[in-house]
Amino acid sequence: MKHRTIIEPFRIKSVEPIGLSTEEERAEHLINAHYNPFLLHSRDVIIDLMTDSGTSAMSAHQWAGMMEGDEAYAGSRSWERMEQEVRDLTGMPHILPAHQGRAAERIIYGHLGRPGKVFISNTHFDTTRANIEFSGASAIDIPIPEGRDTALQHPFKGNMDVAALDQLLKEHKGHVSAVILTVTNNSGGGQPVSLANAEGVASICRKHDVLFLLDCCRIAENSWFVKHREPGMEGSTYRQIAQRMFALADGAVMSAKKDALVNMGGFLALRDEVLADACTNLLIITEGFTTYGGLSGRDMEAIAIGLREVFDPHYLDYRIKSTTYLGRKLHELGVPLMRPIGGHAVYIDAKKLYAHIPPHQYPGQALVCELYRLGGIRSVEIGSVMFGKYVADGSLIPSAMELVRLAIPRRVYTQSHIEYVAEAFEEVLRQRDRVRGYRIVKEPKFLRHFTAHFEPIV
Amino acid sequence: MAAKHISWAEPFKIKMVEPLFMTTRAHREKALEAAGSNTFLLRSEDVYIDLLTDSGTSAMSDRQWAGLMLGDEAYAGSRNFYHLEEAIHRYYGYKHVIPTHQGRGAENLISKILIKPGDVVPGNMYFTTTKLHQELAGGMFTDIIVDEAHDPNSGFTFKGNVDLSKLQAVINTYGAERIPYVSIATTVNMAGGQPISLANLQALREFTSKHGIRIIHDMTRVAENAYMIQQLEEGQGNKSIAAIVKEICSLTDGATMSAKKDALVNIGGFLATNEWDVFEEARNLVVIYEGLHTYGGLAGRDMEAMAIGIEESVQDAHIRARVGQVFYLGQRLIDMGIPIVKPVGTHGVFLDAKAFLPHLRQTAFPAQALAAELYIDSGVRAMERGIVSAGRDQKTGEHCFPELELVRLTIPRRVYTQAHMDVVAESVQRVFEQRHSVTGLRMTYEPKYLRFFQARFEKLPAA
Repeated sequence: MKHRTIIEPFRIKSVEPIGLSTEEERAEHLINAHYNPFLLHSRDVIIDLMTDSGTSAMSAHQWAGMMEGDEAYAGSRSWERMEQEVRDLTGMPHILPAHQGRAAERIIYGHLGRPGKVFISNTHFDTTRANIEFSGASAIDIPIPEGRDTALQHPFKGNMDVAALDQLLKEHKGHVSAVILTVTNNSGGGQPVSLANAEGVASICRKHDVLFLLDCCRIAENSWFVKHREPGMEGSTYRQIAQRMFALADGAVMSAKKDALVNMGGFLALRDEVLADACTNLLIITEGFTTYGGLSGRDMEAIAIGLREVFDPHYLDYRIKSTTYLGRKLHELGVPLMRPIGGHAVYIDAKKLYAHIPPHQYPGQALVCELYRLGGIRSVEIGSVMFGKYVADGSLIPSAMELVRLAIPRRVYTQSHIEYVAEAFEEVLRQRDRVRGYRIVKEPKFLRHFTAHFEPIV
Repeated sequence: MAAKHISWAEPFKIKMVEPLFMTTRAHREKALEAAGSNTFLLRSEDVYIDLLTDSGTSAMSDRQWAGLMLGDEAYAGSRNFYHLEEAIHRYYGYKHVIPTHQGRGAENLISKILIKPGDVVPGNMYFTTTKLHQELAGGMFTDIIVDEAHDPNSGFTFKGNVDLSKLQAVINTYGAERIPYVSIATTVNMAGGQPISLANLQALREFTSKHGIRIIHDMTRVAENAYMIQQLEEGQGNKSIAAIVKEICSLTDGATMSAKKDALVNIGGFLATNEWDVFEEARNLVVIYEGLHTYGGLAGRDMEAMAIGIEESVQDAHIRARVGQVFYLGQRLIDMGIPIVKPVGTHGVFLDAKAFLPHLRQTAFPAQALAAELYIDSGVRAMERGIVSAGRDQKTGEHCFPELELVRLTIPRRVYTQAHMDVVAESVQRVFEQRHSVTGLRMTYEPKYLRFFQARFEKLPAA
């Protein structure tokens, strides 16, 4: 029987209660959180779509692995399992564990970056950009032009502009620290990158002798799109596709909190021994010894198992199709969004939804607050709050897009939760003209979106 | 039981076990060679009794395991964070809390925030990672611990104490304005797990207040330190461990904590401060290095386990059994005539490698050689805390020659039994009997930072 319903290839083994609240209570919580959902208490959130990072439900097998964690400080068996699994997957010899992705990033980008250096990516994610800028280097984004148009249909909107890359590598000859291809492209709407594009990037990097790194935290989801959209790939398994992509790169950073289906962890994988040694020195200083990198043994065990589970074709089918399900529902309601739907999240185009709110009044932040107030749904702004920049005279250069991300935690919410989210959007649409913008009243220097305070503009 | 008992019997029974691996001498010889005679590089599977460290190796309680199941893995505002914050307020009393993935994450933050290039950080003896973070931030560590701390045979009770005249000398040389804080560890690991007295800390508080200098507390073994105060310091015997712990914290301005020790967890740490400005800056920095300030690079479940572990760690019955077990091993070795650091520390027994292997020069790495020998004999894994750990002088590039050349037998909390301790003591005795045949080592690979972790060695031929 060929069925249309997306059935989860698992049943539920352990549950966690959700605290319900009224709209009045949530209005109060929003004031206390200075209109920044990052500052809300988790207990006051009904459906938490802030991130798919570290929020997965682990499998019974992973929980069993947790019980087998070897907590030895040095040479832990759990590390040996994780190292073997990551080596098998990436084909890279040098594996460094880290407590999460940004730690792995800070180690390698901190080592490679310094003032005058340049990093190039399809789109740098917030913590990646912060790590690079913190080292004094600069970060340049070159997605393909189609990637910046939210309504345009294209199978691989996450691709990097290969011609632009060639040009940039000529312009900045000798100053480019690394080219980073993020799969899928998170800031660009969770859009996939084709294998052909990765091959193009790799060959240009080789031509200019520049380091090519993969940010592979959602590489399994990316492989699903490659198999189903790229000509000639339908016969390969998801794992094979991922391995072909790894084979093109000189190294990879991973936040295991995404596609390794765990709540904590990450790693850095490298081919070059000299680079790996330099990174190892930094690892020990800030993360931990080489065989635990700031992770408990049990978490390494869970990563080893999660990296296998994520390539299960039934799981990936369910994962991608259930994300699409939410996207399609919202599209049918008339919510402007990034299309086609990405792998891990639905991205709402807040600039179009709230056309009456100018970018410097943060339409994305307005939507994030509305969603919480109306439905207790927590989402995240990926627009001018996250990526906006001030120029010398203090005025804001807005981000190219004003998006709000509804990230779907893996294996956590059911179809009825998703229906509830769609319902909340019906209310958002009904009240759209009433909504006003926001101003920032307080912000730190780096990664301001995490802790900034806002105020509604009256 | 009403009667006061002498036995240190554990106030718990065993709920879950983990198999150990028995190996042959030939197997261990091969394993050690593959590890370059560095116990850090051994596979855990090749180790019988693992006394490398008490850090992150504790057995958690059933309540902590239950807490793991209550993890709230929300990226922001996890309820486990608030529980942790509450536990820290209640048991330690610090105002503001930033979780970090482990202790060195907190050391990194506080060093970056408080130390300016050219600053001097006095402390009661160095610790490897603490000193390195101070140096990377442009500061210089200077030792102000009492002289007795450097003498393994001095029976002085509070070898972790600060010598205020040494601090005065540092102020005279550099000026108080170049001292961002005094770094105080409870207990002092590198001195052999030695405690600081409450009276000394009070005197230090008074002294530093006069000069407007902060005290930052490296509090990883604060409960064990409190136990020594309760047992040995005049006038403190009637206070509970919990009360003494809180009193210690109240005499300092902030703290870094590796919760992997006293707080009975496998991963976790935090930075605590009473100063709003320091807290705000830490909150901004933590997102870059660790994670958002309500998880700091920790899973929600691990914050929950930490909150519960903090409470368990300050119970009198727990600490009494914990330190009782360490003293049991220490006393057995003393009775056998083995040279160890006296008095016995609270988290481990430190073998005096200089006295154990007097025929070896310090440049032949006697402690490293002794740790290797012990592993070959029985599969017991210990850690070098001598010239290899001390590293090189930043300016001259020469070895630092620490007065103490020790092998640390660190006891994980709630993990091993009395019978395991007996095996360890017997193995040390066997190696002691054959000590004259132990040859030194030559370093064949030396990393740039914290070399003890990854250095490799080769056996020197017998003289």
